Amino acid sequence: MSLLDFSSDAFIVAFFLYCFGFMFYGITALGRKWSDRSPEEHVRRWGRIAYFVSLLGFAAHLTFFFTRWAGGGHIPTSNMYEFMTFLAMAIMFAFIIVNAIYRKPLLGLFTLPLVVIIVAFAAVFPQEVQPLIPALQSIWLKVHVTTAATGEAFFAVGFAAGLMYLLRTVDFKQTSEKAKREQRWVEFTLYVIIIIIAFISSVFAFRGAGYEASFTQENVTIDEKGIENSTTETVEYSLPPIFKPYNSQVVAMDTFLGMKEPLFETPHWMKGVNAARKLNTITWSIINGSILYALIRLALRKRVGAAIHPLLGDIDADDIDEISYRAIAIGYPVFMLGALIFAMIWAYIAWSRFWGWDPKEVWALITWLYYTAYLHFRLSRGWHGAKSAWLAVIGFVVVMFTLIGVNLVLVGLHSYAGV
Amino acid sequence: MLAFENTKCECGHQNPVGTVLCESCGYPLEIGEQENDAPLEMRYDGIARRSQKSNPNVIDRVWNFFSSVKVAIRLIIITLLAAMIGTIFTQENAFISFDPSTYYEERYGWIGKWYYKLGFSNTYESWWFILLLVMIGTSLVICSLDRVLPLYRALNKQQIRKHSQFLTRQKTVYTGPIEGAEEAWTSSIGAQLKRKHYRVHQDGSALLAEKYRFSRWGPYINHIGLIVFLLAVLLRSLPGWAMDNYVTVAEGSTVQIPDTKYYIKNEKFTIDYYTDAELPKELKGTSRAKLYETRAVLYTCSADCDDPSKQPQLTEVNRHNIVVNDPLSYKGLKAYQFGFDDTPKLKAVNPVLIDHKTGKTYGPFNLVMKDPQLTYNLGPYTLELKQTYMDFALDAEGKPTTKSREPNAPAFVFVIKGPDLAADGEPYMYFPKQNDKVRFSQDMINGELAKRFEIKVPSMTGVEFAPVETSLNIRTDRAMPYIWFGAAISMIGLIMGSYWQHRRIWLRIDDGEVTLGAHTNKNNYGMRAEVASALRGIGVVVEPKLLDNGRNKS
Repeated sequence: MSLLDFSSDAFIVAFFLYCFGFMFYGITALGRKWSDRSPEEHVRRWGRIAYFVSLLGFAAHLTFFFTRWAGGGHIPTSNMYEFMTFLAMAIMFAFIIVNAIYRKPLLGLFTLPLVVIIVAFAAVFPQEVQPLIPALQSIWLKVHVTTAATGEAFFAVGFAAGLMYLLRTVDFKQTSEKAKREQRWVEFTLYVIIIIIAFISSVFAFRGAGYEASFTQENVTIDEKGIENSTTETVEYSLPPIFKPYNSQVVAMDTFLGMKEPLFETPHWMKGVNAARKLNTITWSIINGSILYALIRLALRKRVGAAIHPLLGDIDADDIDEISYRAIAIGYPVFMLGALIFAMIWAYIAWSRFWGWDPKEVWALITWLYYTAYLHFRLSRGWHGAKSAWLAVIGFVVVMFTLIGVNLVLVGLHSYAGV
Repeated sequence: MLAFENTKCECGHQNPVGTVLCESCGYPLEIGEQENDAPLEMRYDGIARRSQKSNPNVIDRVWNFFSSVKVAIRLIIITLLAAMIGTIFTQENAFISFDPSTYYEERYGWIGKWYYKLGFSNTYESWWFILLLVMIGTSLVICSLDRVLPLYRALNKQQIRKHSQFLTRQKTVYTGPIEGAEEAWTSSIGAQLKRKHYRVHQDGSALLAEKYRFSRWGPYINHIGLIVFLLAVLLRSLPGWAMDNYVTVAEGSTVQIPDTKYYIKNEKFTIDYYTDAELPKELKGTSRAKLYETRAVLYTCSADCDDPSKQPQLTEVNRHNIVVNDPLSYKGLKAYQFGFDDTPKLKAVNPVLIDHKTGKTYGPFNLVMKDPQLTYNLGPYTLELKQTYMDFALDAEGKPTTKSREPNAPAFVFVIKGPDLAADGEPYMYFPKQNDKVRFSQDMINGELAKRFEIKVPSMTGVEFAPVETSLNIRTDRAMPYIWFGAAISMIGLIMGSYWQHRRIWLRIDDGEVTLGAHTNKNNYGMRAEVASALRGIGVVVEPKLLDNGRNKS
């Protein structure tokens, strides 16, 4: 067995250990009511088991990382798959640090699922080891990417704690206008998370079933001299086409639930790279996510937030507020160092300028400005607690857009990190 | 701010207007604060900031505006939103040649049109974006000055014995009876705190223990670094501070770097691709670049530099194999691997003129693509060059045009003069490339004349190709040391302020009852644990959690 195969196996082991870690954290939270032990004793024992299993997962993840590095010949942070796996590993690292400071077992209940989702999301992208193109052959690939990701990982823990704070404090029984608004937004946040889970599951379900469809698309462009150029390209789908590419013909298409023809055509103004396929994937994610959400609601017979809220009953809200803030305060200098300063140094060496307003650069700056504003808000009265938790949640959306959205939606010099 | 506010504390200290907590004993001065028992607002130790003056004049008002953290946050958020808008569509500077006034509308419709009209296609160079950055810079300076000087004064002359309300309204509080003599008890907890690296000041039965005060200066050092950085960025826009040029150098040739006395030679350009053996199976058969390398030599001109009639005399000063991520660097001048062009391009052809009537062949003559000679004498005939197209195409109206200056599809229009021809000659169009000749129907264009004359290259030896070209980005950036310096200072300040926390513990003993208050600007958790541990050291066992005075609890 080659080193790279071993590495992939270690990755799968890490994934399942994280899943078990999450489950055990679930037992830690749920079991306080039905166990005959005292709740403190139960939390202590199961919290320890869950933490130990999560640490094992982290060890397997480290094994994956270093064996892939050895087998591939370069640090595995050079494409989307590798970066996302690294980010998940960094989040575990940040969780271990923050947990060492605060020792709140239930922080794992929110961090572990985040890690599981990111690990699974990473696996959506092509996984082969790609030899480095000249632009990436630099020591800064190691330095810049790892520090930036570590900073972002602390923001992720800040997000997990922020969400935990909201689920702990938002009272789902109240009916005042303000309470209702908060309930709706918390529920919406959970709905978005379910959509992301549905996206990952849909991709793997159809990939597992070997679904394929392909189209030829004709692109007509008129250049500045008025000369018409037309090119045709093949577009491959791995999800059944609800939307086919604009101006395209079906080459081959597996049927799905009796669906033999694409249902709609992508509007002509969607012109980004692979715009049609992305629209199709998003549509599938929203449909499946909504179905999944409806099923969960049916099973729980109440809102998802209202179901999680009682699990967090006896946690001190101020403590979680502090954990969220502290995680962000720890991550902020690391992020600035990795995502801005090291990035500028590398950009100066590789691209001859330290700053060029490339979309990825701008979004790193936006993330930085956002958390700068957050830290200054924390100096003001009245910005602790719920407002601060919302800022931590939104901040992580900004981080994820910088990491993924820029590559998928906007283009620029970092496009090689894309799919 | 009330003009007649009484700022004299009950301890007798006269405080400046705007003071929240007495500078001397820490007693709250704000109206209504004394009756409250919620934790105190300890920002900047309750000092009056410079901006909190009575009767502000115009300069004070400007100062007050920029000294507000709320204003600073708003500026940050506006800049953030502006930066976001700038990433919606590709900015103008990402294109080399295009017409922005039509591009955005054609590609993105009415949204694109307004995006361009509102100036968002050039967000980051726009006056309003630069103004935002300048305002953030101003805010950085003023916010810092407004707070750091009073804070420095306050921390420099701290009173050891504080008002008991100041102590009981900290976030970490302990009260309880003591055993033994008051001073001895105070000294023994002082000894415990010393072991935890506190600096301990004792005044009878009152005590002040403090550590990591330097972390309070972290934010200000960070701000100084950011200001240096922003100033350095502004410096770059001054003439002479930054140069950004591109040179294209064919293998074996030497070119002058525009506006400098430097010349650069491309000795050899190499492109390597990964072999199939090195690629994973998903990528086999694709060309994935492994190396772009220009073996470059840098010269300065030592004599005959500005004399066009003489060759400049060059002296080698540096030699480097430029690859991506490893530029040539010489006295602030850097040459970066930027691109290359290895598509085969005609450099010159050596065609002959065939007279089909007589069967005679004249020539060959040397026709170079760039800057060709204008007349060619071939036996009895003369060719006069009237027009050249390097990249021939027909435009929308069917008129000949050239798409670029690169000889991709060269075309030449000659006027042939000689015996049996019109006195002022007859036009003949010549496409050196065989496929262009067919594609653009050379013989049809030339009509009757095509039957009599033919210009053609007799063999491949008559074709000369241009060597591979590398393009290098030549830069000087004199502000870079300041940029890095500012960034480093900023980072040092940030680390100081983030990973250390200023911790202070005050205590006083009144009638056998100790009152202890502790304050930190971050991490109250650690603060409580440390106080609990110090108390445990002298035999007082208390759970850290019980020291929590409650925060924001209603």
